[in-house]
Amino acid sequence: MLDVPIYGRIATLELFRPHGETQDFLFIVTERHKFCVLQWDAESSELVTRAMGDVSDRIGRPTDNGQIGIIDPDCRLIGLHLYDGLFKVIPFDNKGQLKEAFNIRLEELQVLDIKFLFGCAKPTIAVLYQDNKDARHVKTYEVSLKDKDFVEGPWSQNNLDNGADLLIPVPPPLCGVLIIGEETIVYCSANAFKAIPIRPSITKAYGRVDVDGSRYLLGDHAGLVHLLVITHEKEKVTGLKIELLGETSIASTISYLDNAVVFVGSSYGDSQDGSLRIVRNGIGINEQASVELEGIKGMWSLKSSVDEAFDTFLVVSFISETRILAMNLEDELEETEIEGFLSQVQTLFCHDAVYNQLVQVTSNSVRLVSSTTRELRDEWHAPAGFTVNVATANASQVLLATGGGHLVYLEIGDGKLTEVQHTVLEYEVSCLDINPISDNPNYSQLASVGMWTDISISYLLCALGDGHLLNFQLDTTTGQLKDRKKVSLGTQPITLRTFSSKSATHVFAASDRPTVIYSSNKKLLYSNVNLKEVSYMCPFNSAAFPDSLAIAREGELTIGTIDDIQKLHIRTIPLGEHARRICHQEQTRTFGICSLGNQTNAEESEMHFVRLLDDQSFEFMSTYPLDAFEYACSILSCSFTDDKNVYYCVGTAYVLPEENEPTKGRILVFIVEDAKLQLIAEKETKGAVYSLNAFNGKLLAAINQKIQLYKWMLRDDGTRELQSECGHHGHILALYVQTRGDFIVVGDLMKSISLLIYKHEEGAIEERARDYNANWMSAVEILDDDTYLGAENNFNLLTVKKNSEGATDEERGRLEVVGEYHLGEFVNRFCHGSLVMRLPDSEIGQIPTVIFGTVNGMIGVIASLPQEQYAFLEKLQSSLRKVIKGVGD
Amino acid sequence: MGSILGDLPSFDPHNFSQHRPSDPSNPSRMVPTTYHPTHNRTLPPPHQVITTEVKNILIRSFYQRAEDKMRPKRPASEHLAGEHGNKHFRASSSSAQGL
Repeated sequence: MLDVPIYGRIATLELFRPHGETQDFLFIVTERHKFCVLQWDAESSELVTRAMGDVSDRIGRPTDNGQIGIIDPDCRLIGLHLYDGLFKVIPFDNKGQLKEAFNIRLEELQVLDIKFLFGCAKPTIAVLYQDNKDARHVKTYEVSLKDKDFVEGPWSQNNLDNGADLLIPVPPPLCGVLIIGEETIVYCSANAFKAIPIRPSITKAYGRVDVDGSRYLLGDHAGLVHLLVITHEKEKVTGLKIELLGETSIASTISYLDNAVVFVGSSYGDSQDGSLRIVRNGIGINEQASVELEGIKGMWSLKSSVDEAFDTFLVVSFISETRILAMNLEDELEETEIEGFLSQVQTLFCHDAVYNQLVQVTSNSVRLVSSTTRELRDEWHAPAGFTVNVATANASQVLLATGGGHLVYLEIGDGKLTEVQHTVLEYEVSCLDINPISDNPNYSQLASVGMWTDISISYLLCALGDGHLLNFQLDTTTGQLKDRKKVSLGTQPITLRTFSSKSATHVFAASDRPTVIYSSNKKLLYSNVNLKEVSYMCPFNSAAFPDSLAIAREGELTIGTIDDIQKLHIRTIPLGEHARRICHQEQTRTFGICSLGNQTNAEESEMHFVRLLDDQSFEFMSTYPLDAFEYACSILSCSFTDDKNVYYCVGTAYVLPEENEPTKGRILVFIVEDAKLQLIAEKETKGAVYSLNAFNGKLLAAINQKIQLYKWMLRDDGTRELQSECGHHGHILALYVQTRGDFIVVGDLMKSISLLIYKHEEGAIEERARDYNANWMSAVEILDDDTYLGAENNFNLLTVKKNSEGATDEERGRLEVVGEYHLGEFVNRFCHGSLVMRLPDSEIGQIPTVIFGTVNGMIGVIASLPQEQYAFLEKLQSSLRKVIKGVGD
Repeated sequence: MGSILGDLPSFDPHNFSQHRPSDPSNPSRMVPTTYHPTHNRTLPPPHQVITTEVKNILIRSFYQRAEDKMRPKRPASEHLAGEHGNKHFRASSSSAQGL
């Protein structure tokens, strides 16, 4: 299976076989009306271009319902409906080669579907169209290649289902066409007409099952798949039958393959069940085993002998006991005993030791145990009145700290623990590490000691109790440290543990934002781990779970392996309804979402809600139902001048069936109090509130054609209200708004991007500049003070620049288009930010990025590269283009 | 209704004989290879680079009508009286109304 990039957004894809050919060819037309015919050469494994061309017309209004590309079943011509009122024909000659294309005038202007009919002496099309009274009909036309014109076809059918949307041509011997509507399905031919009612649904895709066209699979907008049967006696159609088969992802394409296996392709996924997706970039843990265990305070893995490759024991410590787990013969973790260890107390530290020994440190003692017999060999006791608080060990050394800054150093011999040194430090010791980093894996010359004082301390990696991680360059001969850097890894204290993955040492920082740290290319790299909160971790390399990690989280012990690269992980939170807008409020740790409830029956009108969700559990905390016909259009979390509170502001519109545009809407201001949404203020507006922005301590709203600024005022009775300050007209519909300082960037429905400025002294909003091109915008964002980014409905991105240096007013009043890019996707949101961890010392951290989301579920990044880097990549791209050819050119 | 799904087409009985329905909680992560053509068969033979005829369809329609009018008329039938007899109006064979 190959993935073939095509330089264009594919709008038509059809297989066909011209006369005399032994293989099918592929006909592709892009959104921009370029086409190609491709053939697969199996011998050379190459895709060969048989034909290509540009079938765009300079004059013509692109069809509203999207392009139609069809091929005559007898391969006499290709038909294209790209522009209103025109049908383009590309004829084949009798050798299967394409000839020059020409247009034929098509009277019907609102075309829903066109298909070639089977079994006609002359190429014939059926056209499903809507007239100017909104009634739908089907008409047939013969295509006269000689006259380059239509001739009236064999039959027509008037007054179909108002929702008739799709034609399915039926092959011989039955011929004719199926007309699929929202409430009926009709079979129509020159000499027959049959109709059946269906449960209201919008059919989006179909797949023919039988070669003779007696059965079809139909997929609808809710993911339901039906089987449609044309009952017939020999060549006479006697009726239609339909049966529900089941539910799949919402089908965009259905193909019957063979032996009752069907391919369903979907560009919607299972979006009929609304959900939230959390997208995180990081390393994943593949869970292999897991058990519920509350209160884990520490974990260490031990081997049963120095020669063993794998770990045998997992020591798990709790506040007042220690349990030992080990792998049994069935590769299961089960509880066991190490007789020489103390099990009625918390273990502070454990390690494999030389001479086939194990060492356990508790608050009162250090025990040296044989790893083979598990019996106690020697013990060191803390002096009276001293308890061990912090301990660390390696294979031959133990370092302990007790209260009062006492530091004790022991060495491990064969069956003997020897206290070698005892010193008192100025401060209480908070953490220790004696991990050997030089050539001797069992002995270290250096120990790092952290003390509860301020920051001027020697560490390689030092985790602080407030969630920060410091790292230093350590000189291993002198013990000197330099180049201190600080990174935030959450808000909880971090514990650090080394582990080895693919023979490189990594450090796992367990905290509320677990992170893996490793060095690459003389730099320290950090990678998010796709887990919520990790309290303890240790490496556990057993035969059943090689190279695994044991991870203690809230109430759970998990054993898993780590992915070696950062990937995007996507977590789905099913909502049961369609969320349309989302906003995070950090201060209350909540998400506010605007959603559309699923209708239980077709009669009820849709109900929209504002919901409050907990930002960790995603549970619904509170709901505010909107009025009948009221849609939520925008949501914002912000505060206002002279008010310490933080609010959720929601903009709505009343969408009434009889109105072309909403003429009424509301701005609702909520506060989160006692885990509930409380409505504090409400303001009626004269249209849909398409966008809300926090602006200089006030609220900026885009309402139909106007940008309106509101002040947050205190009434005499102590309550709050929004008061209109000033506004600006001059848009068709102000749909997308971004602000920066006093500047306002507006993306209009049709009039591209404009720049407004708020004048403080005058209390007014004025237009400063605009892009005069006719772009139908779908999203905008501000890149910097002078440059703005936009996406429009022809799947293009553009950047415009403010021209403050212009000589004339006219020049300064124009936003110049400085960048254009055909993305091929419909962007509906931009957001500053990055999915990759930003490191303080990396160059990558300096490159500003904007993330974008598209209607088809694509997430992408736009980065503002420094000129040098851009020039280099551009050169690389041009060179690639010379070598790698575009398929179909 | 049970027979509605009966006898589904089979083109080759071996196809999908090893197929097991995939577990929806563990979707397959098959990643196809990306195709990077470096050969020059991505360009078609020159006569297969197709364009639309340049002549505007309105103009084409004018010329076509003019041609139709210029074509010699069918010989008059024996019934006709003479020059000033009734002319038979020949209906256009095209259903497109054009102008």
